[in-house]
Amino acid sequence: MPHPDTTLLPAFRAGTRGSRALAGVVSLSVVAALAACGPSITTGEDDEAPQPAETVASDPNVLQAPSEESPSGEITIWDRSGDLFNVFDAVIDDFNAKYPDIVVNHEAVDIDAKLQNALITGTEVPDGVFLDDAKVAGFADYLWDLSGVLDPYLADIAPQKVDVASIDGAVYGVPFDLDPGLLYYNATALEDADIDATQIETYDDLLEVARQYKEARPDSGPIHLEQSAFLGQLQLEMYASQLGTSMADADGELRLDSPEYEQILTFLDTVRAEDLGTRAEYLSPTDIETLESGEQVLYPWAIWFSFATQQLLPETAGDWRAMPLPAWDAGGPRSGAMGGSSFVLPKEGESSELAWLFYEFLMFDEAGYTAVWRPNDVYPNGLNTSIPSYLPAMDGPALFGPVDALGGQALWAVAVEAGKEIPGGAPIPPWWAGAVDYLGNDLQRMLDGDLTPAEVLAQSTQDIQANLVDRQ
Amino acid sequence: MTTTALPTTRRRPVISRRPLGATVGVQVFLVLLTLAFLSPVVWALVSAFKPAASIISAPLAFDPSALTLENYTRMFADVPIGRGFMNTAVVLVIKGSVTLFFAPLAAYGFAKYDFPFKNLLFGTVLITLMLPTIVLIIPLLLEMKALGWVNTYQALILPGAVDAFAVFWMRQVIAAVPDELVDAARVDGCSEIGIFTRIVLPVIRPAMAGLAVLTVMNIYNDFVWPVVVASSSRMATLQVVLSTLAQNITGNRIDADYATVTGELLAAASIALIPLLVIFILLQRHFINGILAGSVKG
Amino acid sequence: MTATVAPPAPIVVEPTPHRGGKSRLRRAGAPYLFILPFLAMFAAFGVYPMIFTLRLSFTSWRGSGAAEWVGWGNYTYLLQGEAFWASMANSAVLWLLIVPIQLTIGLVVAVLLNSAKVRLRSFYRVAFLVPFVTPLVAVAQIWTVVFDQRFGAVNTALNALGLPDIGWLTTSTWAKPTLALLFLWKTTGFIVIILLSGLQSIDASVYEAASLDGASRVRQLWSITLPLVRRTLLFALVLQTLAVFQMFAEPFVVTQGGPYGSTTTAGLYLYNHITRADLGTGAANSFLLVIFVMALSLLFVRLLRSEDK
Repeated sequence: MPHPDTTLLPAFRAGTRGSRALAGVVSLSVVAALAACGPSITTGEDDEAPQPAETVASDPNVLQAPSEESPSGEITIWDRSGDLFNVFDAVIDDFNAKYPDIVVNHEAVDIDAKLQNALITGTEVPDGVFLDDAKVAGFADYLWDLSGVLDPYLADIAPQKVDVASIDGAVYGVPFDLDPGLLYYNATALEDADIDATQIETYDDLLEVARQYKEARPDSGPIHLEQSAFLGQLQLEMYASQLGTSMADADGELRLDSPEYEQILTFLDTVRAEDLGTRAEYLSPTDIETLESGEQVLYPWAIWFSFATQQLLPETAGDWRAMPLPAWDAGGPRSGAMGGSSFVLPKEGESSELAWLFYEFLMFDEAGYTAVWRPNDVYPNGLNTSIPSYLPAMDGPALFGPVDALGGQALWAVAVEAGKEIPGGAPIPPWWAGAVDYLGNDLQRMLDGDLTPAEVLAQSTQDIQANLVDRQ
Repeated sequence: MTTTALPTTRRRPVISRRPLGATVGVQVFLVLLTLAFLSPVVWALVSAFKPAASIISAPLAFDPSALTLENYTRMFADVPIGRGFMNTAVVLVIKGSVTLFFAPLAAYGFAKYDFPFKNLLFGTVLITLMLPTIVLIIPLLLEMKALGWVNTYQALILPGAVDAFAVFWMRQVIAAVPDELVDAARVDGCSEIGIFTRIVLPVIRPAMAGLAVLTVMNIYNDFVWPVVVASSSRMATLQVVLSTLAQNITGNRIDADYATVTGELLAAASIALIPLLVIFILLQRHFINGILAGSVKG
Repeated sequence: MTATVAPPAPIVVEPTPHRGGKSRLRRAGAPYLFILPFLAMFAAFGVYPMIFTLRLSFTSWRGSGAAEWVGWGNYTYLLQGEAFWASMANSAVLWLLIVPIQLTIGLVVAVLLNSAKVRLRSFYRVAFLVPFVTPLVAVAQIWTVVFDQRFGAVNTALNALGLPDIGWLTTSTWAKPTLALLFLWKTTGFIVIILLSGLQSIDASVYEAASLDGASRVRQLWSITLPLVRRTLLFALVLQTLAVFQMFAEPFVVTQGGPYGSTTTAGLYLYNHITRADLGTGAANSFLLVIFVMALSLLFVRLLRSEDK
C-alpha cells in the first residue's frame, strides 16, 4: 500500500531555513500594513494630558436638541420583543400626532446579543435603544451625554433613576420605568393560616410570619429565594437600595464589606437555615408550581412580578396582593429599586436628536406617558408592571387601573407610594453584569449553605476588586 | 505476511468474510446505540404534538387522544420560519458549492505538489484551525462593516467559504492517493487540472461524500456568525430564527410562558430537522455508490 | 510498496513534442493556481482577523476609542489568575469524559458499519448522524427539559425506579458529565463518518489475505485495522481535542457556564471577556489557548505516529 511521505502536521517538520526567514519578513510587513486597520494603539500616557474645560453647549459628547419647528426624518428604535414592544409600538401613532414628519422604524431585537456588536463595529446602529439600567454604565463610551437635553426635567425624575444612569455628572439614559420593590403575598393562603400579612413592618416581622406559616403548613417554604445568579444579585441590590447603598459608590469604590450588606445576607441566610424558603429560579416551572400550591406565599420582588400573577398563575389568580417591602430597621424606607430600564442614544446613530424627541414625548409629555401606561391588548387595564419615574406622572391620576389578579387592588397607589420611598445614592458600576460571576455566584453558594455571609462579602470584594475594578 | 495486489477488485468482497453484522451481540449493540442516539430527538418530535403544558409537567406521558397541532400553529403564526429556510437555502447552495470544489482543489495543490513555502502556508492554515472562532468574530465584523457587507448574503457566504478544515481533511485524503496514478495521468498527456477532475476527484469520492455531508451540516447549523453579522429579520437564517425564539423562553412575552415557547421551539426544530434528514438520506446513495463504483487501489 | 513523489523539476517524459515547454510551466504554475482561491479567502477572512487579534492581545481595548498598549499585561493577568486555569481544568475534565469514549465507540461502530449488510448500514449511518444534524438551540432546550431536576424525563424515570432526583444541570458534580453526554451524543456520529472514510481506504484484499491465513475477526481488527486506521484515528483525536477545548456554544446555551463556573470551558471563559468588552484579554486568552492546543496536538502526533508500512 503506497504511503506518501507526508505527515499530519508538516509545519512542524523542519522547514527550509530560507522559508522561515522569509516568513518573518512577510509577517512583519503584513502586520505593518494592517496597522492602519483597527483601533489606534496608544501608550496610555496621552490620557493624562489636561483637557480644557468644556461647557455643555460645546461638549461634543452632549446631545443638542433639534431646533426646528417641525423636525423631520427617520429614526430606528430598538426594543426587546415581548409585551413591552407591543406597548411602545402602540404609542407611535400618538407621537406622530405631535411630530408628523418623523418616521419611526420600530424593531424588536435581542438587544443583549446585538447591541454590543452594533456599537463596536458601528454597523446598523439604532438611534434609540431600550436598555436595562444595570447595563447603561457599561456602554457609556458609546452613548450621548443627555445632561443638556434632560436638564429641564432632572429635578422631577426619581433620584434613583438619575443615579443609575449618571457617571461623573453626565447622564447617559432617559429614565423609563421606576421599578419599586414590593412584597407580594398570597393573602388567601396566609389568611387560611390565620396570618395577617399587612401587619408586617420589618424583615424580622417577615421572618416571624414565615415561621408561623410554616407551623401551619410544614411542607412549605414561604419566602422566595432566588436561584438565578443574575436575578439573585439584582434582588440583593434591591435590598441594598432600601438601605441607600449598592455594590460600588459614585467613585467606583467597592462598599460590599459593610454592615448593611451584612444585615441583608444574614437575613437571607436565616431564611435558608431555618428552612423558611423555596429556592427556585424566577418563574421557572418549579417556582410556578410552588406558587400555585401555596408552598411559596411571600415574594419580595420588583413590581414586575405582577406579570406572573396575571399571566402565569391561573389557580391562585385573585389571591395575591402587593404591599410595600418590610423595612430593615423600624421606620426605614419600605422600598428599593429592582431592575428598571432606560432609553439610551448611541452617538453613532444617524438621527439621535430626533430619537430624543421620541423619548421626550414618551416620558415627559402627558400625552406620551399616558399612552404608554394606558390599557391595550396586552394589559386590558393598563401596563401595571412598572410606574413612571417622572414625578408629575407619578403624582397624576393613576395611569393603570386596578389589577384583577390582585383581587382588584389599586396597585398604582401602592407602587407610587413605595417608589417615593426609594432612597438615592445607588449608582450602578459599568462592570455590574460581570460581578454576577463573583457576587451572584457567591450568594448562591451561601444559599446552598456552603459559605457564610462574611465569607461571601470578603470573597466577592476580593474577586471583584482584582478582576473587575482594577482592570477598568 | 505478503499481500498481493488485486487491481481488478471492483466490489468489496463482502461474501468472502463472515458477515460481522450477523452476530446477535453486534446487532443488539447497534440497536441499543441507535436507541440512545435517536430517543432525545424522537422525544422532541413527539412532544411537539403534545399540549405545551404537558411537555413540561409530564414529559414521559404519551396520550394519543391529547395530541394537538397547537404548537405548530402557534409557531407558524409567530415565527418567520419560511424566511429562515430561504436564507439558509441560498447560503447552503452557494457556500456549499464553493467549498466542495475549491477545498479539494487547494488540498490537491498542497498534497501532490512541492513548491516554496508550502509547509509554511499549510502551517498557517493549521494555526487558524486552532484559533477559537469566537474571538475572530469582532475583527471579522469590523471587516464586514468596512466592506459594507453587514446583513448581506456575502457576509454569510464568503468568510469560511473555502473552509480550512475541509482543505485540511481533503489533503489528508488526497495524500493517500497513489502517486503513480497522478504520474500516469500526466504521462498520458492529461492537463494539470484534468488530473484533478478526472483522476483525483473520482478516487476520493467517498471522502467527498463525507465532506459534503459535513459541509451541509455545518452551514445549516451555523449560528454564532449569522447571529452576529446578519440577524435582521430579512436576512435571518433558520438558526438565527430558532435562537431568537429560544431567547423568548425567559423573556417577558405575553402567553409566552416557558411551556408554550418550549412547545413552539420543539415544533420549529422538528421542521428544521426534516430537510437536513432528507438531504442526508439522498446523499447516502452517493456514499454507497462511491464505494461500489470501486476505488482503484494498487 | 512505497511511492516517491517525483520532484517537479526535470520532466523526463514528453508525450507529444508540441507540448514541451508549456507543460513544464503549467506543471510548475498549477499548484499556485489551485490553492489561490483558498488562499485568497483565507488571507482575507482568516489571516487578517488572526493578526488583528494578535495585536489586540497586547492592548486593553474595550471596543471604542483608542486601544492602550499593555504589553504582556493581559497574558500575566490570565496566567496568574485562578479563573483561566479553572477553565482549562474544566475543559481538560470534559476532554477526559468525552474523547476516549468517543473514539472507542466511534471506531467500533465504524468497523461494524464497514462490514454490515448494506441496507442496515445506511439506516444506522443516518440514525447516528441525526443528533449532529439537530440544531444546537433545540438540543440545548431538549437537554434542559429532559434533565430538569424536578420535571425532567430522566429524573421521572429514575423516580419510577425508586431512585431520588439528581440535579443534572444544577449541581457542580453532575453538570460536567451531563454536558459531556450532550457533546458525545451530538458529535459521535460525525466521528463515525470520519473513521468510516478512513476505514474504507483500506484495501479489502488485505483482509482477504488475512482470512485466508486463518486470522480471526478480532485478530484482524487488532493487527490490521487498528494500525492502518491509525492515521485517521489521530486525525479524529486532534479534531476532537480542538473541538473540546474550543467548546463554547454548548455550555453557553445549556448551562451558561454554571453552576458556579463548573462548566465554564476554555472557550466560554474566553467569550465572557468579550461580553464584558474586555477584548484585549479575550484576544490574549485565545492565543494562550492556541499554544496549548498546538502543544497537545504535537504531543499526540509524536506519541501515536508510527512507521507506515
